[in-house]
Amino acid sequence: MRAAPIVTARQPSAWQRLRRSVLRLGWLTLAGLLLAGIVHLVTVLLLPSLARQDAAHAYLGLGSEGHADMPGSLAPGSLPALQEADPRVVTAICAYDLTGGPVRITARAGSLPMAITLHRSGGGVVYAITDRAAIRGLLEFQLLTDEQNDERLAQDDDGEASRELRVVADSARGLVVVRVLAKQPSDRLDAEALATGVQCGPAG
Amino acid sequence: MRIGELAYVLALGAGLGLASAQWAVTARPAIGKVEIGPWAAWPAGGSREIDPYLQAYLARGVHLPLGAGEGMELIAETSDDGAALEARCRYSISGATPAARGWTLSVSDTAGAPFRLALERSGFSDAEIVRGEDGAMAIVAAFSPQPGNWLPLPSEGRFQLRLRLYDTALSIQTGDARPALLPQITRLDCR
Repeated sequence: MRAAPIVTARQPSAWQRLRRSVLRLGWLTLAGLLLAGIVHLVTVLLLPSLARQDAAHAYLGLGSEGHADMPGSLAPGSLPALQEADPRVVTAICAYDLTGGPVRITARAGSLPMAITLHRSGGGVVYAITDRAAIRGLLEFQLLTDEQNDERLAQDDDGEASRELRVVADSARGLVVVRVLAKQPSDRLDAEALATGVQCGPAG
Repeated sequence: MRIGELAYVLALGAGLGLASAQWAVTARPAIGKVEIGPWAAWPAGGSREIDPYLQAYLARGVHLPLGAGEGMELIAETSDDGAALEARCRYSISGATPAARGWTLSVSDTAGAPFRLALERSGFSDAEIVRGEDGAMAIVAAFSPQPGNWLPLPSEGRFQLRLRLYDTALSIQTGDARPALLPQITRLDCR
């Protein structure tokens, strides 16, 4: 009777071990890169909502007196300066919070170009209007949320459209930014008076 | 998966992800950038549909971009020949400006802040420049005084030109912005 042949497990050669390690490292690197892509996107998307040094936070207290304030007019150094701003433009700001109800913005148009923009907290311009839209020298609109707009529409008399301009903001907080262009250095005082003359308060 | 391997994947993912995100938002992003000759604009910055990279860039500082209906900001970091704008050179900024209720052309550092120069002139508005017989504008940006519309530059270093058009009819989205509609930036000579 012949003895059965002895089967021994073949040990992987050094080359095979190296190949396997390199392959594993490749897969791990691929997983790391995939994770890096996810981390990259999540960071970029979360940055605006986590930012605490943006304009919406820096100028949160402006406009509490019922009119737009210039960031530079308060105690020097108390508020950060606006970056990338046009040196020829006077900027006045009014922070809004619609959780307490709609806000009314009233501006008187002058001879200098003026624009009012609504910047939502976290970035993006919700609305922009220039003084060319002023009626009899007055620019007036109400700023409200979607729900507040629905309520107002329900309160409006049947069949009678409101004559008032209503702007629906998609975020409850943000900034009303008034910019007046001082074309000549001598226009600066007029521009400041126009910009800070913009009223912003509860719509009632 | 061994702990060492897991640590490798996490370190690579977190490190590379955070570093690339930081790098992507330190300057104005290439996404959403519209180039018209040497001028660049980010029109989505002034709308509701702002792209996430520009939004993240703007959120890192106190920025309030011009609204889409308010105006347009165009930034030039190079002259017409594609070379970076250098304060040791002399530049002619000439030609037409698109129809607008007003415009300003200013010189700033690469972060967009005006230089602190002895002469307080960081730019011109449309009401200030002296025009030629054809009505076109001709501004010379240089370190040393120039006849006509002189825009002072610092003694050295890179700079930007910013053209802001207020209440303009020019629309970038509709594609009617052509280099011929905007001022040309020609390098005259260098020190």
